[in-house]
Amino acid sequence: MSTTRRLDPVLLLALPATLYIAIVYGLPLLFLMGRSLFGTGGLDSFVGFFADPFSWTVLANTLRSAALVTLVCLVIGYPTALVLARAGGFAQAAILVAIILPLSVGVVVKAFAWQIVLRRDGIVSQAMTGLGLWSEPQRLLFTEAGLVIGAANIFVPFMILPIYAVLKLVDPRLGEAAATLGASPIYRFLKVALPLSLPGIVTGVAFVFSMAASMYVIPSLVIGDRFQTLATLTGRSFLFMRNEQLGSTTAVVLLALTVAVVIASASLSRRLGGAQ
Amino acid sequence: MTTAFLDITGAGKRFGAATVLDGVDLSVGKAEFISLLGPSGCGKTTLLRIVAGLMPPDTGKVVLDGDEITRKPPHRRDVGVVFQNYALFPHLTVAENVAFGLKARRAPAAAIAPTVARFLDLVQMGAFADRSVRALSGGQQQRVAVARALAVGPKLLLLDEPFSALDRKLREAMQIDLRRILREVGTTAIFVTHDQDEALTMSDRIAVMHRGGIEQLGTPAEIYHRPATPFALDFVGLSSRLPGKVASEDSGIVHVDTGAGAIRAPGNFISGSAVVLGVRPERIAVGTEGENRIDATLRDVVFQGARVQLHFVAPEGGRLLVEAHEVPPGVAPGVTLPLSWKLADTLLYPATPEGYAA
Repeated sequence: MSTTRRLDPVLLLALPATLYIAIVYGLPLLFLMGRSLFGTGGLDSFVGFFADPFSWTVLANTLRSAALVTLVCLVIGYPTALVLARAGGFAQAAILVAIILPLSVGVVVKAFAWQIVLRRDGIVSQAMTGLGLWSEPQRLLFTEAGLVIGAANIFVPFMILPIYAVLKLVDPRLGEAAATLGASPIYRFLKVALPLSLPGIVTGVAFVFSMAASMYVIPSLVIGDRFQTLATLTGRSFLFMRNEQLGSTTAVVLLALTVAVVIASASLSRRLGGAQ
Repeated sequence: MTTAFLDITGAGKRFGAATVLDGVDLSVGKAEFISLLGPSGCGKTTLLRIVAGLMPPDTGKVVLDGDEITRKPPHRRDVGVVFQNYALFPHLTVAENVAFGLKARRAPAAAIAPTVARFLDLVQMGAFADRSVRALSGGQQQRVAVARALAVGPKLLLLDEPFSALDRKLREAMQIDLRRILREVGTTAIFVTHDQDEALTMSDRIAVMHRGGIEQLGTPAEIYHRPATPFALDFVGLSSRLPGKVASEDSGIVHVDTGAGAIRAPGNFISGSAVVLGVRPERIAVGTEGENRIDATLRDVVFQGARVQLHFVAPEGGRLLVEAHEVPPGVAPGVTLPLSWKLADTLLYPATPEGYAA
């Protein structure tokens, strides 16, 4: 009942992580934001950025490709998470390894693998023409579709794992109870498993979207310069164009965008899970 | 019970090499309350899950209300279940939980709210309709689970140890409440429990289960007073047991030699067969009024409030348990007293190779 607040000594355990983040991430971020704002003339850099139609193309590229990657990850990842949560013993361990192990292969290595898979005479093209779905061989490499396929491949574990973690905690008896109350399998999924796994979906979407919106290596390797996103433009500005003003501006826009997505998804999950 | 409402025939289930359910037959009459009573691993929950459709049987058939449902999925069976941990939907309110089954069955929207209200009132949870189920106590969750299962009007209600998480006082109150509710609604119910008191209190009939089979099916009084097997004797209520050998048999009365003396019992056994004698503790009296008499030494007195338990040791190691209202005057551990009971209260079983212990 004491009104004086004493610092819980356990909080000190968070000190190393807090210092680390503050020094290697917080400070550079502040410099970056400062440069975008105070480099030449206040908000001029932002006004200039948003006045340029090319910037809007870049923004649209970023949002569209990230949204598509997130969608593909969700569509592929959710059923996988469901299977993973229901599987037991060896099967579960095997699936987990299959999901996590590819993360240990570097993005660059994967990107070169896709070049083999996605090119005009690659496996995908041959399979599609062989099946008669495509009238002639097509090149997926250097297209946005190829980018989405490749990026989804890398990010899908970050969708599966949070959904799986939530689904695993859902009592299997709930599904059985719903069944004995007369609910069909689809009704059970929509009214029990899906609402209870929403927090996992929101986390997965926030993870994948923010990573897909800020990916740099994958679009550089899979598409190249013709397709610019905020992240690749930021990289180019700093590395090739030596335009720190533009680079810091695009970086801040990208940061605002991803932070907005994370906050929106968190509040969405709180609203959707309001009854919980 | 000329026509069975639920008819289970030859229900069998194996998990790998273990036979969990060994060709069980069970018929339940309409509006009857049957308990499946047995220790864990006896197959009672497996039988329940087979009837609910949550697990397919390897062999056998389940017929409910003239309709074979053996292969029907659970959502088309009209069999409600109250789970051991209640399995309430945590993301829904109390009223939404009760409405769930009605909505899933596409009940007319106008009928849902009155039905929900009626069943919440039935279980005395009307005041909690808009609460989150997470805010409820165990007993309250249990009531909501019963209301949710009954609201859809199932033909049959299955209850899987629904009281095991409640403390004793609450459990006893809930047992009486549940019986009243089920009588009001007229629902046929199968109740799974390992608690003999619960089964004796609530059931019209009890099926004592052991090792994947039903050992005895009967009314609580039949099960208690005339247990059909040593296992039923042992599992339901307390008893004294004495091993012995049949000396002679004469028109339905068997004379048995036990280490503690000669005992007579109703039964038909060939002379020389090994048997086990059983007596309920409240049927044994200190004194010599009954036809069967044994002298035994008092070893322990256990006070239990309304009753006292007297633990006796008979010659040759036989142990006898006597329940009385009070300790007879002048009796203390160490004294040897005559014990007696009626011929008709003497239960007789063949001694099985593995003995008679549970």
